[in-house]
Amino acid sequence: MFGKEFFAARYAALGWKYEDVTPEQAIRINTMNCDEEKVVRRLEALGIELEKIPFLEHGYWVSHSNFSLGATSEYLLGLYSIQEAAAQIPTTLFTELKDKIVLDACAAPGGKTVQLADSMGNTGAVIALDVKKQRLTALTNHLERCRVKNTIVYYLDARQASKLKLKFDRILLDVPCSGNFSTDKDWFKKRTIKDVERNAKLQREILAEATKILKDNGEIVYATCSLEPEENELNVNWAIENLNLKVAKTSCYGERAATEIFGKRLDGQIENCRRIWPGKTQGFFVCKLVKS
Amino acid sequence: MINVIEDFVRRFNAEIRLDETLLVKKGNSYFLLNDTLKRLVAKDFFYAGLYLGKSKKDRFFPSFNLLRIIAESKANKVVVDRKTEWLFICGRDIFKRGIKKVVGSKNRGSYTLILNMKSECLGYGKILHNLDKPGKGVVIKNILDIGDFLRRESK
Repeated sequence: MFGKEFFAARYAALGWKYEDVTPEQAIRINTMNCDEEKVVRRLEALGIELEKIPFLEHGYWVSHSNFSLGATSEYLLGLYSIQEAAAQIPTTLFTELKDKIVLDACAAPGGKTVQLADSMGNTGAVIALDVKKQRLTALTNHLERCRVKNTIVYYLDARQASKLKLKFDRILLDVPCSGNFSTDKDWFKKRTIKDVERNAKLQREILAEATKILKDNGEIVYATCSLEPEENELNVNWAIENLNLKVAKTSCYGERAATEIFGKRLDGQIENCRRIWPGKTQGFFVCKLVKS
Repeated sequence: MINVIEDFVRRFNAEIRLDETLLVKKGNSYFLLNDTLKRLVAKDFFYAGLYLGKSKKDRFFPSFNLLRIIAESKANKVVVDRKTEWLFICGRDIFKRGIKKVVGSKNRGSYTLILNMKSECLGYGKILHNLDKPGKGVVIKNILDIGDFLRRESK
């Protein structure tokens, strides 16, 4: 069970007609390091055309640039990050982040870790974990470039986060997932339903561990860039049934998630999740979970 | 532990104050924590707080965080024009014609921070020829610039 036809038929059953898309490049201004308007003006003076992303506070689509956005002084000075628009959404779902103790459980390469630090104004603490050591270097380069100073990084599997013996106010679970075709042109050749199921299991294990170390009034934001319901609606439904979590209402960009998937009726709270089909952004799924 | 960093900072005729109780060394790397991080950090961390640099065989390799802290103090600094800024972050040395302003030492052999016209620290270099004497050609050797972030990725 693999291939473009197989997956496209599943998307059709979920209400979306497959189309080949290329998401637009986007940036996010690191407001902890600069005045946003001034940076936008600086970039425009370089000939970079920016368009404000309507559903993000500090995000811009890059309409046109004659050179690599990763090679400007402004980028190297940490004034902005190159971060896909949908990937900027999860962090914005948390309520009040300043002075909080936050876990970024699957942090590398660090785009969202920097965004967390930015939203926190470098206050409190971000504990960032990743299980792949070679990816930690990319993460720490990102932290140094963006002048992040409130983060501790560990080489640790998110499924073992309780070893840290800490309780967290906020937990970001941008979990390892199957990805989607909009950011990987060979996706349909590489992925099978078995991969999806394997990732879904791993994600449930991470969700279970995160629930153990979440403070009673804490918040988990769960996100994937997978389009597959096993990694999204079905996993969140499992968390409602098994982890005593509930899905908080959100008003972020995206469609309400379906409460019936391939004939299976899910908990009504699932409609508080948001599903973003590929288009100007990549495909994405995001929700906020709290303890019941 | 702090001596290594202070010795490096003095090369720029600068002095900075770091709270030694918040400094931690992990392997060869130095990090500056704050009170919250100090309370939370476990000994097997990979990276924490503000990375200041690393020492290797009696040499200290600063981070850009440390250079930025030095740049906020009274120190040797050279401000360069936009074209020279671009060449510098591409790893090139600095020609005299690209220098807009010199603060502190102008003497050959001195270390100096390199700033752009917005006073943002781009890295540092070593003065090869006295900057107050007439002359053309390369006057500051590039030792470290922020283009290093890109070069690290390609390694």
